[in-house]
Amino acid sequence: MQRRAYGPTAWLIDNVTHPGAYAQAVTAVAIDGVLEVLPAEATVLVVCERDRLEAIGTALDQIEPNLGERPRGADQREVVIEVVYDGEDLADVSEQAGVGVAEVIDRHQKGVYTVEFCGFSPGFAYLSGLDPILRLPRRSIPRIHVLAGSVAIAAHYSAIYPSRSPGGWHLLGTTTAEIWNTERSNPALLTPGTTVRFERKEG
Amino acid sequence: MVGLQIVEVGWSTTVQDLGRHGYRDIGVPTAGAVDRTAHDLANRLVGNDTDAATLETTRGLVIEAQQALVVATSADGARHTLRVGDQLRVNAATNGVWGYLAVRGGIDVAAVLGSRSQDTLSGLGPPSLEPGVVLPVGADPATVMATDFGPPRSRGAVVRLRPGPRGDMFTGGLTTMFETAWTVQQDVSRVGVRLSARHFGRTEVGESNMMPSEGLVEGAVQITPSGEPIVMLANHPTTGGYPVIAVVEPRDIAIIAQAQPGSTLTFRGE
Repeated sequence: MQRRAYGPTAWLIDNVTHPGAYAQAVTAVAIDGVLEVLPAEATVLVVCERDRLEAIGTALDQIEPNLGERPRGADQREVVIEVVYDGEDLADVSEQAGVGVAEVIDRHQKGVYTVEFCGFSPGFAYLSGLDPILRLPRRSIPRIHVLAGSVAIAAHYSAIYPSRSPGGWHLLGTTTAEIWNTERSNPALLTPGTTVRFERKEG
Repeated sequence: MVGLQIVEVGWSTTVQDLGRHGYRDIGVPTAGAVDRTAHDLANRLVGNDTDAATLETTRGLVIEAQQALVVATSADGARHTLRVGDQLRVNAATNGVWGYLAVRGGIDVAAVLGSRSQDTLSGLGPPSLEPGVVLPVGADPATVMATDFGPPRSRGAVVRLRPGPRGDMFTGGLTTMFETAWTVQQDVSRVGVRLSARHFGRTEVGESNMMPSEGLVEGAVQITPSGEPIVMLANHPTTGGYPVIAVVEPRDIAIIAQAQPGSTLTFRGE
């Protein structure tokens, strides 16, 4: 793990094994002057008040760097998402993964997933915990429109499209769960650290 | 309905304030005015707080007062009093790209996640403005209006840079940025400003081709594989996949944001 300079208002913590857990730890210690903490795939961005930059850097160095297991506190949220496995790419995924469609569904549905970080669009959560058999590169040609509620996989993640957007992930199914709603106090249903399970529903 | 009616509107005219803060971790860009100095100036001229929403425009617009209004424009630093039915043409910025129209009381559209800004990347906030739309105006702030009319500011031409997190991917770190003048490319966007391509020498670290996406800040200078620096503005995405070589000194963001296509910029260290 390495703390890198990022201009006068931020630090980038690099080579973080579990960025979501590390970001939670940074937030939990409530360092004065920290404005935003953003976990990504291998890094955590810490946005700071300018005159607190150096002090925050020192405080960040005190945080335990080897957060292996993610903290399982009382506030650990678990969300169950009902999915109808009717995705357009089921056959493609089955062929590329070399297992039958039923097994694709079974392997996706059995996983216990964790939100590592959000990005791409508001509320779009990257869920780790995907079965290794299902790890495929993104579609070579992305779709111009993917509907909100589409349950998809790419690389070693699963995700649910929170709103209609372009997208290059493989579509396995759909859910009616409201992933994003700005009228709620927590607009995003899935936030870093949330545990997610999928439950199969007949269409 | 009373308020401020849009009569004509040029490309990229939006409602903006200081943006959405505290939601990056759920993928929400900050958005807000790309030149906050100009946004602040227009607000100050009509006695608003700096977080009052203004209209941000590149190609100008025409408004009509549906109620008595006091407005100010950043381009000429002038304040105008409008009676019901008066129209005002706000011209495209002549010494920059982005101009602001402030109205005393602020544009009072509904806030989404604490901001009235139209997020032009992810679509949050108020919709795009069209002729005929009437925007509500907030209550008179009961403040004294500044008497120091803001003259068009002379912006510096040299932009200060600080080291970014991925300077070690480039030979000489960020010094390539200091070696030549850079031409601003033609595309104008609230997301970022693209500069002409140059050759950036890559170090051994920099040769490893795939870098996972990581957090961005306003002013971050990303280097694309073809050697084009892209400087992030207010509506940048929360994360990006190109290495950030440097970060623009926040006080110099306005210079970058207002640099017209075809003009040149130079950088220096700080």
